[in-house]
Order: sequence, then structure tokens, then C-alpha cells
Amino acid sequence: MSDEPSTPKRILHIDINSYFATLLQQENPFLRGKPVGVLKSAGRTCIIAASKEAKKKGVKTGCYLKEARQLAPDLITVPAEFDRYLDCTKRLKKLFDSLSPDVDIFSLDEAFVDLTYCSTLYPDAHEFAQQVQQKIKADLGEWVTCNIGISHNRLLAKIASEITPPDSIFEINGDNKDAILAKVEFKDVCGIGSRLGAKLGRLGIHHPYAINFWSEEDLADFFGPFWSKELKRIGAGEDSHILSLVDRNRDHEMKSVGRTITGYKLCDSELEIKQTLYNLMEELIYKVRKMDMAGRHVGICLWGHDESWYAHRTLKYYVRHTQELFELLYNQSYSSWDRSFKVIKYGVFLNQLKPMSQISQCLLPSWNRQEKISQALDHLTEKYGLFTVKPGLLTNFKMIRPEVTGYLGDKKYQLG
Amino acid sequence: MTPCIFAFSSHNRGMYQTIGETIKVAGVFGSAKFTPKKFEWRTQIYQISQITLVNDVKDGGIKKRWYSVMAGANLYRLCFNRDNESWSLEEVWCE
Repeated sequence: MSDEPSTPKRILHIDINSYFATLLQQENPFLRGKPVGVLKSAGRTCIIAASKEAKKKGVKTGCYLKEARQLAPDLITVPAEFDRYLDCTKRLKKLFDSLSPDVDIFSLDEAFVDLTYCSTLYPDAHEFAQQVQQKIKADLGEWVTCNIGISHNRLLAKIASEITPPDSIFEINGDNKDAILAKVEFKDVCGIGSRLGAKLGRLGIHHPYAINFWSEEDLADFFGPFWSKELKRIGAGEDSHILSLVDRNRDHEMKSVGRTITGYKLCDSELEIKQTLYNLMEELIYKVRKMDMAGRHVGICLWGHDESWYAHRTLKYYVRHTQELFELLYNQSYSSWDRSFKVIKYGVFLNQLKPMSQISQCLLPSWNRQEKISQALDHLTEKYGLFTVKPGLLTNFKMIRPEVTGYLGDKKYQLG
Repeated sequence: MTPCIFAFSSHNRGMYQTIGETIKVAGVFGSAKFTPKKFEWRTQIYQISQITLVNDVKDGGIKKRWYSVMAGANLYRLCFNRDNESWSLEEVWCE
């Protein structure tokens, strides 16, 4: 199926280079030009982001600190500053919104800008891209650079920005599309993860263009009916499913919230596990209440070194109080777990969210009493911050604070 | 002289040292923004030569503005509490 509309689409993908590290280098001139590895927080041992200089030495996201220091003995490690990143992303959004009415923030450091209906304002997409690069430097600082990919759909625009060198602009059009698809690796294609890429590789499919030599039926034998169609689309250079959802997600209400945290060490202390879970649930419920929503599918996950355990339930009613969620997940679900391993990672989630305006009001006095208490706590939280008031259970507990994820799955909540 | 209170990390050549002390700041209001020009910390005046990054953050309900500034050969993280309109020196980068 052709991807070419009647009005030629012009989409830009803007990707800030090594966002987490670059912003810290912009802020701190002593870090500029040096290999910098960003840790989630002091004491962590996994690099969550590396500067351009560190990447040149082979330091990658997900690299352990010991390995990173072997690759770059002069590596400087700094803790991530998520509040800064989110503020800078908000400023980028404001900048992009001032340039085009069709902007989608894809993650903390990426955005799609659609220029299709701005051709009178910006007749030359390359000139526009150069302007964007200059405006980003003017707003965030001269050290902040970005790649910009240009094409007629998001998949190709994103591939273009992935494969071009830092601080440059690249366009994929009808003339070079097939050549690019025959050369680009799956790691640079949005919608194809490492496992799927490896599976394709085992079949001798190393680049998207090679998919065109397979029929949909043959692909379905290995990848199933969904992925066979999806792969054919990608092979033809059309938007992948995840990218085609970008438009739809603009006005979509959030359907689920989750919160996970990885601890510093394996834990088998019942008290510490209980405190951690309560902390996570408190944050999760705060988010749900801030969006004026409630959910009815609850779940809990625990991970050990090599093991995991998971429990979930779909309720006939909606939940939006921490105590109630704690009762369901800790006192009921968690109590059924056999404690067969020490826990390093914790997760809680609340799915099938619905706005309160669409939920029948609960008439139980106990629920309404809890709702009044929660509303009072909401006011205090809004004024003084989360965990200003906390239960006795968390009195001597080092609180886990809310974080922003790089993917920004909750962008509507974070960016407003 | 740059005060560095704590020991350095054995790996990093530099790190942020937490200060958290009240300071006085002088600057210029113009074009709907404030640009700090100098600050006084522990009776010493520091002339700001460069503002490298400014960020607006929320600490609970309190709006804060972080200014990362170069003064002399050092980087300082200043914080303006927009609620009570007070300034503090939060951290210093020590090489």
C-alpha cells in the first residue's frame, strides 16, 4: 500500500544528542569534551546515559560501571537530574509549538514536527531544520546539539536522525529510501527491538529492505499474523504500528499507570519490602488522583536475581485510594507469594483507568470517608509536596521520590 | 579560595559538594527575566561571569529556579525559592 498522500508530507524527527549527558555538560563546563557517564543516582552501577565522548570510547547505555571504566578510564560519573531534563523538555515543547501546530513529543529528548501544512511558512525543510538547531542552542545552550531527520513519514524521519552523525540534518526521500533501507540496521528502526532483530538475523534478514523478499505468509510462519504485516510495512519504509499511534495518542486518556524501582541490593526484609511497596503505591495513587481517574486492574511484580513473581486481579469496582490498593496488593496478593527469593526490583500498577466523570459514584460511607481524607491529603501534597504527610510505616524509611522516565510514557501527565 | 568540604571520589576527578546555605544575590531585571550578576556567600563577593543553565522546577508546591553559574574558575548551583523569594547556594563543583 502506498504511503504517498496527495499533499506530500514533510515530517521532521528531532533528537537531542546524548540528552542526559549533554545537558549536564551544558550546565557544567568542566564536563564538556570529556567522557561522562550518567548514573540514575549516586551509588548506582549502571550507566543510563553516556556523553558523545564516552560513546566514542564504546560506553553505551546499560553498560555497567566497571566495564565502562575499562573502556574509558577517564570517565566522569554524575547522577542524573530528572527535574532538569523535564524542564528542558517542556521548553523544547514550547519552542516546537511556536514553530508548528503539529508537534508530538515522542520521548524526553525526541519530537516529531509535521511541516506538511506549513509549506508557505517554511518552504525549505532543511532551512527550517537549521533554524531549529540554532533555536535549541539559543534556548538551552551552545553545547546542546541535535540530529534532525526529514522524510515523508515518521519511521523514515526517525531512521534519518538515527543514522546521521551528531549535530547534522539528513533527509530520506524517494531517491535514497531503498538504499537506506538496504543498509540500516534494525537497532536504528523504531518498532523493532533487539530480540526481534536477532530473530530476523537468524533468518538472514539483516536490513529492512531484505524483508521485501519474503512473503507475508512466510513471515507469519515465524512471527505470527501481526508481525508479518508489521514487518512488511517496515520493509516498504512505512510507519510502524508504534509510530502510527503517535497521532492517536494525542487526545487519548491514559489507560494505565505503573511504578517500578530497582533497589541497591537483594532484600529479604519483610519490613523493607512492605515499606517499598507502600511508597510506590502512594506515588501511583497520587498520579491517578491528580488525573482524576481510578482503575480496576491491579498488579504487583517482584524480581530477584534470576526469578520473578507476578500477581494481578481485575476488580468489579474502581480503586483510587492508597489504603485500598495496599490491602489488595500487599495484604492479599503479596501474602500468597512463597518468598522463594530475595527481591531487587519492585513494581506495582493500576490499569483500566477511567476518568471519575465516567464512573458511577460509590455510595458506601467507608469509601466516601476515605475519599474525603484523600482529598485533604491531596491539598497538602499539592502545596507542600508528595510525602509531606506519610503513614507511620514510612517514618524511618528513605523515601523513593517520583521519577521521569526517558520514554515519557506519561507525557500527558508530565507535560500537561 | 574555593571551600571544598568533603573528600573527593576516588574515581571522579571532580564532584558536586553540597552547601545548602543562604546567600545574597544582586542582578538585573529586564525583558521579563532576572539575570544574577553577583552573589555574596560567607562575606565574600563572587562575580558571575556566565550563566550556563537555568531550570524551573517544583519541589512539592514550591516553585524554584535553579541557576548554574560560573564565578571565577568554579561552577555554583544557585537556587531561587519563588515562594519565599530567598536565595541559596546549593552545590559547588570541585575539581
